Amino acid sequence: MWGKSPVIKFLSTLLLFLTLEVISISFISSESIFQQAKISGVVIKLKSVMDGLASGVKYYFGLQNVNEMLVRENLRLLRENERLKAFTNTDVDSLSLKISPSENFSYIPAKIIANSTNKLHNYLILNKGRVHGVRKDMGVISAVGVVGVISAVSDKYSYVISFLNINQSVSAMIKSSGTFGPMIWEGRRSDYAMLKEIPYHIDFMVGDTVVTSGFSSMFPPDIPLGTIRKSSVTKGSYNNIQVKLFQNFNSLHYVNIVVNNNKDELDFIQRGSNGSVR
Amino acid sequence: MGRSGNIILFISFVITQIVLSSLIDFGPLLFISVYPLFLLTRPANTSLNSLLLWAFAMGMVVDYFTNSIMGINSAAALVMTLFQVRILRLVSRKGELDTQSRPGLRELGLIRFGVYILSALLIHHTAISLAESFGVTHFIYNLPRMLISLFVNTLIILLIEFGLFYKNWR
Repeated sequence: MWGKSPVIKFLSTLLLFLTLEVISISFISSESIFQQAKISGVVIKLKSVMDGLASGVKYYFGLQNVNEMLVRENLRLLRENERLKAFTNTDVDSLSLKISPSENFSYIPAKIIANSTNKLHNYLILNKGRVHGVRKDMGVISAVGVVGVISAVSDKYSYVISFLNINQSVSAMIKSSGTFGPMIWEGRRSDYAMLKEIPYHIDFMVGDTVVTSGFSSMFPPDIPLGTIRKSSVTKGSYNNIQVKLFQNFNSLHYVNIVVNNNKDELDFIQRGSNGSVR
Repeated sequence: MGRSGNIILFISFVITQIVLSSLIDFGPLLFISVYPLFLLTRPANTSLNSLLLWAFAMGMVVDYFTNSIMGINSAAALVMTLFQVRILRLVSRKGELDTQSRPGLRELGLIRFGVYILSALLIHHTAISLAESFGVTHFIYNLPRMLISLFVNTLIILLIEFGLFYKNWR
């Protein structure tokens, strides 16, 4: 029965051939140094490919630790950056009155545990809450853009209204000219936003960088947001500029919560001035 | 031919191979191998597995007694044997292979036997050259040696077949 099946016959012949051939080649390699060198070269190459694959897999599974390490490192650099800015801003021009001098910001790193990008009112949930010092109305940023604003806080978690929300706006600025206006998301694609109310006479180029203006107590200035893609004129006097965002909301995992150390004071002054006007 | 006859033929071919390749030095451009004739003229109904075992044994013994790298002839003979049945099927007429007959000069005729020997030896010599060089660069430098040997060995094998077996088998 076994001898008659053609598949078994073929396999047995193949096995016999390979066995005998391997014996022959091992004889050759043990006999001759030239062949030995060639064969060991092939074996080493094969081994290095296998090692490369194994280390690639190992590297992939170690990425989470690497990410967390980078987040910590990033935070340390942000803090150092703020500290150095504070040194350079000591003789700042009295005319450039920004509401929030940048040295007043500190950051809380957080990990995203829920994120939506496919609705008109998108939200995120972060793994930091009241016990970590997070409060309502704090800004949330990443290295390449604004992520959103904290809307509700529990003890250990916080709920963020994403920038991808048609009610949300960020004060943004064209870096080359310093012109600012509100940037909003129009609810179409998660990688584009609209910078509005830029006066018609302002010159800008496609590809110019758009950054946060700093005219808000939530976000520090000069966080890169995106580049200008195209523009259209509305009402004859304003440019509406389409901005390609740097931030990819679909691959976002780690963010920083912005803590404005002078927020209470600023709020008090704003309330005070409002009161006096009234 | 019985088992003892096969073994005597095997030993005869080994001795012929040793005498031809060891006692006569043809220089580096020529290596003599006549033992493939033994493998190529096994009876047509021999199974491929036993052909492979014959080839391995023959190659190993030849490697051991001639002064070559151990294993090189057996590796080449195994590769040749793997294709041997297929080539024989191509050159033989329908029904010829079902018999226990020896596929020799008498059964196939000069042209078909010559083509059979030449194509099988081409595979054998290519395998030897590849096993010697283990790569394509040296293989190209080995090409003249391979082609000269192919020509000379085919000639010697045809002569042996004609002189020894052609007449005796009649």
